[in-house]
Amino acid sequence: MKTLDRLFENGARSLAKRTSRRSLLACLGQVLTGAALMPLLPIDRTARAQEPVHPTPAEQKCDYWKYCAIDGFLCACCGGSSTACPPGTQPSPITWIGTCHNPADGRDYIVSYNDCCGKVSCGDCFCDRNERETPMYRLSRNNDVNWCMANADSNYHCSVSVILGVAEK
Amino acid sequence: MVKNGLGMLLLALAAGSKLSWAGPQPPPLPAEHLTVATVGPKSPHWIYVVDYAYVNEIDSRVWLFDGDTYRRIGQIDTGFFPAVNLSPDGKTTAVATTYWSRGGHGTRTDVVELNDNNTLSKTGEIVIPPKHAQTLAMMFTLTYSADGKFVYVPYLTPAASFGVLDPAKKRVLNEIDTAGCTLTFPWGPNRVSSICESGRLLTVTLDSQGKETSRTTSDAFFNVDEDPVFAQAVPLPDGYAFVSFLGQVHEIDFRQPKPGIRTPWSLVSPAEKGAWRPGGVQIGALHRARNKLYVPMHKGGDGSHKEGGSEIWVFDLKSHQREARWPIDSYKAGTAISVQVSQDAAPLLFIATETSHLLILEALTGKLKHDEKNLGQTPQLLLNP
Amino acid sequence: MMRAATVAATLVAVGAQAANPAQDYVLNCMGCHGAAAQGIPGKVPPLANALSRFMRTPEGRNYVLRVPGAANSSLSDEQLAGVLNWLAVTFDSSATANQLAPFTGREVAALRRQPLLSVLATRGTVVHNLATTGPSPPSQY
Repeated sequence: MKTLDRLFENGARSLAKRTSRRSLLACLGQVLTGAALMPLLPIDRTARAQEPVHPTPAEQKCDYWKYCAIDGFLCACCGGSSTACPPGTQPSPITWIGTCHNPADGRDYIVSYNDCCGKVSCGDCFCDRNERETPMYRLSRNNDVNWCMANADSNYHCSVSVILGVAEK
Repeated sequence: MVKNGLGMLLLALAAGSKLSWAGPQPPPLPAEHLTVATVGPKSPHWIYVVDYAYVNEIDSRVWLFDGDTYRRIGQIDTGFFPAVNLSPDGKTTAVATTYWSRGGHGTRTDVVELNDNNTLSKTGEIVIPPKHAQTLAMMFTLTYSADGKFVYVPYLTPAASFGVLDPAKKRVLNEIDTAGCTLTFPWGPNRVSSICESGRLLTVTLDSQGKETSRTTSDAFFNVDEDPVFAQAVPLPDGYAFVSFLGQVHEIDFRQPKPGIRTPWSLVSPAEKGAWRPGGVQIGALHRARNKLYVPMHKGGDGSHKEGGSEIWVFDLKSHQREARWPIDSYKAGTAISVQVSQDAAPLLFIATETSHLLILEALTGKLKHDEKNLGQTPQLLLNP
Repeated sequence: MMRAATVAATLVAVGAQAANPAQDYVLNCMGCHGAAAQGIPGKVPPLANALSRFMRTPEGRNYVLRVPGAANSSLSDEQLAGVLNWLAVTFDSSATANQLAPFTGREVAALRRQPLLSVLATRGTVVHNLATTGPSPPSQY
């Protein structure tokens, strides 16, 4: 049974016990999004947690499983990690999306490739992989464009790869 | 004056020289004159090489290279993630690019810079909204109408549109929303098509002021989930050819307002399909008079569409027959990511590799003429008139 | 306009099938429209507290199905209907989501391929008209 359906079914049953039908329908949306599917990307960049990072050796290499559709410099080599922008850079609010296979647990994960912006090219650990990547006309899966384009400071520094959730077939 | 100054210095040096010679000392060198080089007489074997400078992206540039003398003729600066193209008359290199006021940051200004190819000097600019589409090297991120009167510049914010510019008056005339379809494939004096995720082309017709008079959407000719086409199309005498990841060639006739979709043909045999694939940045080049299509091909699977070719395959555009396969591994210069061919009777095939070589082959025989190592940092796009 | 099936009820019905509107949204739309469907001011329109309001009138529904992200998406007509219905239920705090007629694949198919000449101008007109009958989406973003 698929993860999403399980979320949906459990949520619907428990809600049905406690609420009226109208509230049940209105609440379905929250059940579907569910914390398990995708942690919300923070909207306010200034409120984002800032903390030291310890990138693993694996995430500083291009063949790391999460990098299956990345294009650019690995932030893990530039003072950040696969989930952290380097100090003084700003994450892009818009991203391209990849679906990568994790050999450690056999699952496909949906990942968000944000760019970190506002400084010149990091220049280290260049990596260009293109699983399920498509040209610019399907922008959601395209890694050729500068995803810093909508930032106030739109220069491109490096790229991260953040797990959003498990992909369903 | 420089000439006299240098001359005086040389005389002083000669007078004070303590060197002793076994035989008679050669006469002193004459004073030299400092000049500025000219580009020299034009040649069909010139190639404009767009170097994206991936490691230092605000520092991209175009190298003009002579395919006969193997010499760099000169450079055009192109800013960050440039869109570069030549005017139809070959006299101008137009560049849409981004500059920040403090180098890598600060106030963003996007401009179309116009460079005179006779002098490699910038002769003018048109400031555009700060939304030129910043993407990797393509021939369709800045284009000209066939008569050179309009310049089209795709914008991406991430909403998709394109600017219509008047390069003579150096003005922005208009902005055309393209409904999520991207890039500009121009035709004639006033038609521009963009390519859509739905597998269609959106075609917009403009009036003489650059205002839209009509738009139409073609039938779908590819499926992005099954076999996407490269957006880097190959210009044809009557339209464009869109090559797919699995090697299908979709020739589109642009001569009528509604694009004509020809039956696709395949670069690969059934046995080769899926195993041998086109790939790279600039996926094909056509010698128009001889109808020869050159395509970089590699062995690879899903996700390998940006890998460069280990071979160049040569096709006859009319018969669709493959005429040659030229392996390039033995040159140890990397794989072919971009190809371009000169249009003359003794044509050269130019190949940019991912290790920054520029290979030059005889385009009729495949014979290697020259390997220019390190032509720039990351040469990506090859342009010629 | 008020049919027996509502958006939310339709979502219940299809929930157990292969359709996965949340995943379709993540793969095809979320990269620009955001995890909270919030958009980006000046650049990407919000879908939260907006999409469901467009669904109240035929003019609004017509607009939604012809915007660039819908018209030229590679999602099938059924998938697009599913994503829009899911967004309407998920990202609108007003109660109107419960009373909307869901999009169907047929409605999507009939409208989505006619391009809009000017998205922003049309949006302005549609929003202006919607404001006379209830909560309206922002006319600008």
